Amino acid sequence: MPNTPDTTTANSELPIAIETLQSVLSNMLPAHADDGDLYIEHGVSESLALEEGRVKHVSASTHQGMGARVIKGESAGHAFTDRFDSAALMQAGKSARAIAESGQNIAPVSIHQAKSSPSLYQAINPSDAVDFLQRKLLLEELDALARSLDPRVVQVFANVSSSFSDIHIIRMDGRHIHDARPLVRMNISVVVEQNDKRETGSAGGGGRFALSRLTEGEQAKQLVHEAIRLALLNLDAHDTPAGNMPVVLGPGWPGILLHEAIGHGLEGDFNRKGTSVFSDKMGQRVAAKGITVVDDGTIPERRGSLTVDDEGTDTNRTVLIEDGILTGYLLDKQNARLMGMEATGNGRRESYAHPVLPRMTNTFMLAGSDTPDDIIASLDKGIYAVNFGGGQVDITSGKFVFTTSEAYYVENGKIQYPVKGATLIGSGHEVLQKVSMIGNDLELDPGVGTCGKGGQSVPVGVGLPTIRIDELTVGGTES
Amino acid sequence: MSLKTGSTSQPSISHQSIQLLEAAKKCGAIHADALAVCDTGDSISIRNGMVESVEREDAQGLGLRAFIETPKGLAFATASTSDVSESGLNKLAEQVIAMARISEPDPDAMPPVGANHPSSAELQAWQTKHDHHDSGWDLSQAKAAAMQCEEIARNYSDQISNSEGADASFGNSRVAYASSDGFASEYAKASASLSVSVIAGTGEGMQRDYAWHSAFNAADLRSPQIIAEEAAQRATDRLNPSSLPDSMKHGEHSVIFEPRIATSLLGHLIGAINGRSVLQQRSFLSDSLNRSIFPDFVSIEENPNHPDGLGNRLFDGEGTRCSLNQIIEAGRLNTFLADRYVAKRLGQPETGSASRGLTGDIGIGSSNILWQPGTRTQAEMISDIGNGVLITELIGFGVNGVTGDYSRGAGGFLIENGKISHPVQGITIAGNLKDMFANIELIGSDLTWFGSRAVPSIAVSGMTIAGE
Repeated sequence: MPNTPDTTTANSELPIAIETLQSVLSNMLPAHADDGDLYIEHGVSESLALEEGRVKHVSASTHQGMGARVIKGESAGHAFTDRFDSAALMQAGKSARAIAESGQNIAPVSIHQAKSSPSLYQAINPSDAVDFLQRKLLLEELDALARSLDPRVVQVFANVSSSFSDIHIIRMDGRHIHDARPLVRMNISVVVEQNDKRETGSAGGGGRFALSRLTEGEQAKQLVHEAIRLALLNLDAHDTPAGNMPVVLGPGWPGILLHEAIGHGLEGDFNRKGTSVFSDKMGQRVAAKGITVVDDGTIPERRGSLTVDDEGTDTNRTVLIEDGILTGYLLDKQNARLMGMEATGNGRRESYAHPVLPRMTNTFMLAGSDTPDDIIASLDKGIYAVNFGGGQVDITSGKFVFTTSEAYYVENGKIQYPVKGATLIGSGHEVLQKVSMIGNDLELDPGVGTCGKGGQSVPVGVGLPTIRIDELTVGGTES
Repeated sequence: MSLKTGSTSQPSISHQSIQLLEAAKKCGAIHADALAVCDTGDSISIRNGMVESVEREDAQGLGLRAFIETPKGLAFATASTSDVSESGLNKLAEQVIAMARISEPDPDAMPPVGANHPSSAELQAWQTKHDHHDSGWDLSQAKAAAMQCEEIARNYSDQISNSEGADASFGNSRVAYASSDGFASEYAKASASLSVSVIAGTGEGMQRDYAWHSAFNAADLRSPQIIAEEAAQRATDRLNPSSLPDSMKHGEHSVIFEPRIATSLLGHLIGAINGRSVLQQRSFLSDSLNRSIFPDFVSIEENPNHPDGLGNRLFDGEGTRCSLNQIIEAGRLNTFLADRYVAKRLGQPETGSASRGLTGDIGIGSSNILWQPGTRTQAEMISDIGNGVLITELIGFGVNGVTGDYSRGAGGFLIENGKISHPVQGITIAGNLKDMFANIELIGSDLTWFGSRAVPSIAVSGMTIAGE
């Protein structure tokens, strides 16, 4: 069977002649620029999707291009081109320079390989070892499994996607930093039907590792079981109560609460500009005692991890909140410079076609000492939310929301019945002050998170131990 | 400052899509369709009177869908690349054919054969009237507009405390589509847009809001002043929110979605009548064809040739001719949205709804969609419902397309005794979209266009509200 990707191993060689890039860089950067770089990317991605029992959608894409940046003070010039001819590259550099006053160019730079940190993932195309036919057969097998597990399953959607990107960052001093980034993702959704009532459930997983990790062994099959379990659970779900009540969040993906309520509000751009509700709260209490929240881009093979960020800075473990006190921001180079702080390795961009923004990597709360059972048992009347769909935040007012995909009504410390998807809403600067119990069961999510900001999507991770929040607003339909 | 990188008219790219078809044929495709795109654009952000960023885009790409014959029927795959060189183009064709060979044949596959394409005379007439080659701006004009807009918004009142900046952007886009049954076309679009976002209040009392407008040509944009004043007034109006009165926390209540927010209700309808979702049993309206899903005073149409819409088109992503489509007529759902494949599977007429991007497979999309306005002004609607909430903000993704269950974070203004009383934030509104559609009580006369969608204010009864 043909296996078509045209890049099978990492290519640390630049796809553009060094002399051309040196010329672009020297002509782009005025001597008074604070910063600047070129970002050259060549990536391939592939996706197979099954529906109605057939692998109907097979698609692939190749993207390549160069982004050019010039930074001076609070201004940033960014230009990109999909063309690798020297005229287009030079024009991109010229466009990026539009923010700067005219002036002398920097001295000619010589591009050289920078010493690189050990990679957090293997520099291989993650789909190499599992050709298209194997992926197709796997999806068909999962479809058959889902239909055999429960006669109420009426539709199965299975998707496997993988990408591999060679990233070259050329800093203004000529340092060339290369990172080869694999990423895989698998998702299963089912529709179940019973007495004319339909419901859906889905489960997914992935990370920066070889696709074979998902396709061999039991992991893919477990996703099928999980998707069906969630869909059937929702068939029996009751209306969710509406109002203010205590909420227990389960471990893992519910960490999206931290991402929305806290993480975005601590991104450097908003804090430098004073537009976040967390602006000027450094050193102050923003969470209950015992709560420590970190952003850690250095965990090997996680979806949100990066060996270096998109400015060539090594990623870090940044403590955002320590024992309830705000201790850190997430910083790219420009915001770090303007705030007089160190970059934390959080400068990220969706691709060469997008500007750099301070973004999260893997954001999670460290474990406490309570047992999950004790935390649930503490609920007199409230919601136990185990899994979530998406969330969103207004960083200025601090209002955040997220929506449950698996939740239960709890009374007298006992789980009563599952409830329908409901929106939970709160304020980022208040919610963590209302946490009264922290579980000993920290989990990271299964590798499914994508974060959107400024029209750009980047893969992220979240994590949480079981926690109890004494009051949140629950947007149910049962008043 | 040297700000002279204004977009210029781009060369034709039809030859790329046609070359790509030929390459696909050489590799073994028996049918194919191909897309070539070329986008250039500039944008500038101004914050606190200074240039915050300048961005320049120079993008191109090719997309190919190719069908091969197998013993079990036609199979196809799609792929795209941003490498438009001859080698990139040939590689793309080889890649698609290799992938089509492992794709599962579909007996209902609809290759581009016998499609209802517009004639070349129609194409020419359309291009003469609708092609836009000039956004009307260069970088210095865009900068001036953004500067003016941001300054007016910042200085609107003492309560405006901070700025997230104003953005002005403009660009040109070309799209060429060709299919193996001999259809080929190319169109050009220009665009200009202006937006601003400001903050009112300080500390934990800060509120942010924004306003924007887009047009084919900068000359048709709302003035920087109008956009600035809308953003600043909205941010100011949100200050000092009150808590929800206890009377609102129990029972069911009416809410009014202002036009900008009511676009999301229209979006949920369009998502639910997406023929692909219907086929997949993933729509809460899959059993509602030819039934009344709204009160009889609701009518919604898709109009691919409307003087005020930005979504005008002669043909869809498969080259199928688009025409006026009465989606909801006197409350009744007349049709699902279908490309050629979905139409065949559902046994309904094509609606010219194929949406084709560079990457991925064909999806379902729409041209301009217009919700027919009613006769009441928004103030009259507020007076009519008496007590409830005027919704001016929704956040989160709490909508289940399979069941219609709806629960979202919201902000807006309390309506008490037929009048706006004060702002509310951090509330939730919940219901089920099927009920919400059926429970529409009033439709405003304030029809407003947002790009390719036009929506008036909409009042819905029977919502559950929660909040502090």
